Order: sequence, then C-alpha cells, then structure tokens
Amino acid sequence: MDNKPAAAAQRQAAMISIRDVHVAYGQPGKPARKILNGVSLDIVPGEFISIVGQTGCGKSTLLRLVLAEEMPASGQVLLEGSPRTRPDRHCGYVPQKYSLFPDRTVLDNITFGLEVTEVGFFGNLSPARRVRRQEFQAEAFGYLRRMGLRESDAIKYPHQLSGGMQQRVAIAQALIMRPKVLLMDEAFSALDPGTRLGMQRLIKDLWRETGTTILFVTHNPREAVILATRVIALGRTGGDDDGANVVLDLPVPDACDEQRVAGFIRRVEQSTFPDGLRTEEVDAAEA
Amino acid sequence: MSILQIHAQPSRTTVWILSWFLFATGIVSYFWVSRARHLDNPDDRVMPTLHQMGRAFADATLKPAEDDEVTSDPNRQSLAAKIRNSMLWKDTIATGRRFLISMALLFPAVLLGLHMGMFPYVGSVFLRFVLFFDKIVALSLLPILFIAFGIDELAKVMLIVVGVAPTIILDSFNLTRGVPKEQIVKGFTLGAGDFAITYRIVFKQIWPRVLNSIRLNLKSVMLFLFAGEMIASQDGLAYRIALLRRHMGMDTIIPYVLWVALLLFLVDFGMRTLNRKLHPWFQEA
Repeated sequence: MDNKPAAAAQRQAAMISIRDVHVAYGQPGKPARKILNGVSLDIVPGEFISIVGQTGCGKSTLLRLVLAEEMPASGQVLLEGSPRTRPDRHCGYVPQKYSLFPDRTVLDNITFGLEVTEVGFFGNLSPARRVRRQEFQAEAFGYLRRMGLRESDAIKYPHQLSGGMQQRVAIAQALIMRPKVLLMDEAFSALDPGTRLGMQRLIKDLWRETGTTILFVTHNPREAVILATRVIALGRTGGDDDGANVVLDLPVPDACDEQRVAGFIRRVEQSTFPDGLRTEEVDAAEA
Repeated sequence: MSILQIHAQPSRTTVWILSWFLFATGIVSYFWVSRARHLDNPDDRVMPTLHQMGRAFADATLKPAEDDEVTSDPNRQSLAAKIRNSMLWKDTIATGRRFLISMALLFPAVLLGLHMGMFPYVGSVFLRFVLFFDKIVALSLLPILFIAFGIDELAKVMLIVVGVAPTIILDSFNLTRGVPKEQIVKGFTLGAGDFAITYRIVFKQIWPRVLNSIRLNLKSVMLFLFAGEMIASQDGLAYRIALLRRHMGMDTIIPYVLWVALLLFLVDFGMRTLNRKLHPWFQEA
C-alpha cells in the first residue's frame, strides 16, 4: 500500500513514461506479429539506461517509440508528461549508421541543427547571419575538441572519417542541441573493440559532464552494464508470438565492487541469452 | 595467354591502343570504301571523301544557308560575322535554345519527384499517373502535340518534356525514397521542419544523382528534339539534316551528325565536371 504514492511520485518525476505499450507489425491478410507486449517504464532525468536484449526483441522499436518515429498500437509514451507525436529536438539521436549528412563537412554537420533552428532559411538573408554562424562554429569547435577530434577534421566529409570518428561527430551533432534525452541505437556496434572502448569512456564522461538522460540500446550485456546506471533487459517470456516485455530492470551496482558487477553482468547475460551464453562467446561468434 | 582473363592487367599503352582501335578501324574502312566507290563513280554522293566533307563543313561554318536572306556582302564581313551568319551557327543556336528550355523545364520534374517521395499525399496523387504516363511512347503523341500546341517551338519543347519528364520524376522519386530514414529522423531531432528536411537534407543529397540521371537522359532529350525539328521546323540541326537528306547531301549530313555528337559529348563532359566540382563528397563517397 505504501508503495503506491511512491510509485505515483516517481511517475510524476519521470522524464519519460512508457505505459502499457503494445506494438505489432503485420501485412494485410496475415496475422500481426507482436513485438512489444505491454511494456511499462519510467525513466527519471539524468539516468543512463541501457536497453539490452537479443536481436529482434524490440529494443530498437522501444527507442523509436521514445523518438516518436513510430507510434504504439496501444499505450502511451510521454516525455515530461506530454505525449510524443513526432521526432523533435528534445530527443537527440545517434543511430548505428547513416548518422551524418554525407554532403556536409564535419563542421557543417555539427552546426546544422543550430543553423536551421536559430538562423532558419530567411535568416540566411540577414546581415547578422555571419556573426551568428561564427558563434555556432566556435561552439562546434569546442565540441570537436571535446570529442577528441582535431580542428583539421572540421573540413573533412564523413566518408573521409573512420567509423569511430563519425560516431564522435554524430554525438557532438546531437549534444550541441542540448537535448533532454539522447537516444543511441547500437551506436557502437559497428566499431572495432579498441575504438568501442574509447567511445564507451567518452560517452560515460559526457554523461557525467552534461547530466543528459541517455537511452542506450545494445545487444552486448557487458557494454550495457559498464555504461549504464540502470539496465533494462527485454525478452519474450511466452512463445515467439507473444511479443517482448521487460524481463529485468535493475540499477547497476557500484563499479568499485568488481565481484558484484561481474555477478550482475552474469545475471544480465542470463536474461539476454537464455542459452547460457556469455558476452565473450557472443562477441567471438560475431567476430 | 587468353585475353578473356578476369585478372588480366593490360598496360596503359595497350589500353590506349585498344580503346582507339575501333575508331581507327571505322575511319579507315569508311575512307577505303569511299575511295573505291569514287574510283568506280567520281560523282558518288553516298560516301563523300574527306575533301568533300571538309569543303561542305567549311561552307556550313562560313556561309549562310541557301534559304537565308543575305543582308550584306559576305566578302566584306569579318570572320566572326561570317560564322555568326553561317548555317551551322544558326542551326546550332536554334537547337541549343530549344535544348536549354527543355532542360530548364525538367527542373520542376525533379521537384515533383522530390515532393512525391517526401510527402505521402503528393505521392498518392501523382505516382500512379506518372507511372502510366511513363509508359506512353512520346513520339506517338507527336501528332496530338502538334494539333494541341501548333507546330511552333512549344510543341517541340513539350515533346521533350512529355518524353523525358516522367523518367526524371520517377528517378527523383526513387532517389528520394532511397535516402536512409535515419537521415530524416536525424533532421527532425536537430530541429529541422518538413521543408528544411526536404530541401536542406534530402534535395542536397539527391541532387548530384539527379544531375547524373539527367546526363544519362541527354540522348533521349536530343532524340525527341530531333524528331520535333525534323517534322516541323524552319531551323535547327535536325531540320538541316532532314532537308539535306532530300538532296542526298551526305557531305554535309555526316559532319553535322559528328558535330551533334561532339556537342552532346561536351555537354555530358561539362555536366560531369560541374557535378564533380560542386559535389566533391559525391564522387568520393
């Protein structure tokens, strides 16, 4: 009984509320395939959430619901109490690929959001445009340095950068807009292990500095635990046709307590890989 | 060693020789047959000699057409004035003007394709219609166009638009749909609205590809233009070729055909160079 007001208070304080969300895909004339089956979550400001699960369990679908790129068949997704209707600047987005505009240089990619929102199309005709643009560029160079990139990289096109550098620029591009939530969909999955480790450190540092709420989708339980303050595992508890739901939702133990962290990783692995596989084995198989 | 090897690595000299081989063979064969025909019949008009073609081409570039009004004594004109009043120059300008108007009219086709790809309601209205229109053989519409628009410039330009626009619309539509969805979502998350995404993200990304598509359709544009000019025109390169055909004027027709090919090659080369200069990211990406 005592928990009800506490839960209500948490819901009120929640930045993102996902309430009894169902998603199903289907083609005309065929039975719909359930993807998410009544998922409910509350995410408070400043949390770093990892969403983990096997391929096809609906992790990215859940992210797209928060992004409002997709609408649930039933249920609600709220950002600060308002229903999500379409993607907007409140949610930054870093996908696994196609994260940068190929026709723009690194600097133009980072300043794109500021240009369209602050200057606009007709603002290009204004004499103050040059001053504003210089301000944006100065800010973009700050982010560029923070991401560990050189100033000479600013004039490069995305195809001239490595995968890791591209993702660094994509993060800068999203963060410069100061989003309320940063949504990262398998953002490091295509990177080699060394680059991936560097990116994990970077995103963790950025989270500490900015306090931005982050939703990080990954299929790697170890990465999920290393990065996040809370891990949510999705899985299908019923048959394949039942759709996924939250099978684990726990705060990550203090990183200093290595034994507890190792045990926690094992627990997430058991939720994610029901066959008893470990992250290393899955990584090796992927490699 | 077989020449049909996937891993064959011909030297630069070999590549150069092989790439010019067919040109050389064609030219040598032509003049060999031409010489044989002229030995047999000195008045042969089917395969003119190099000398005959050179003289006819010089006349075309320096003298006005026979049906042109001569306003001043040609012998007193400067070389520039002679070229300006020449048959070839006037025909080239007439065809070039129609060609440029047609190309300019293809730009709205690109915009329509872009909007069809971006906005589902626009796509719903136009897609089926354009797909149907694309299947109509443009040349079969020629009589209808001449009846509807008369036999002046508009009909010829409309023939090109009707013939090529559906292809360009569908190309632009497909290119727009091919832009990864992540890019559009990313645009929204960076604060861009529908039109900012359409023009500042998608259009900029498809534009070099659209230019390529237009470039590859240049021959179709010229084909429709030539059809229009041959049937109903008072000037233009195709009009001249059709006119000379009646007099068996092969000594002028062949240089005219080569001139058209050269012009088309230059337009193609210019567009390719411009595309590369304007969009350095496109060639390298």
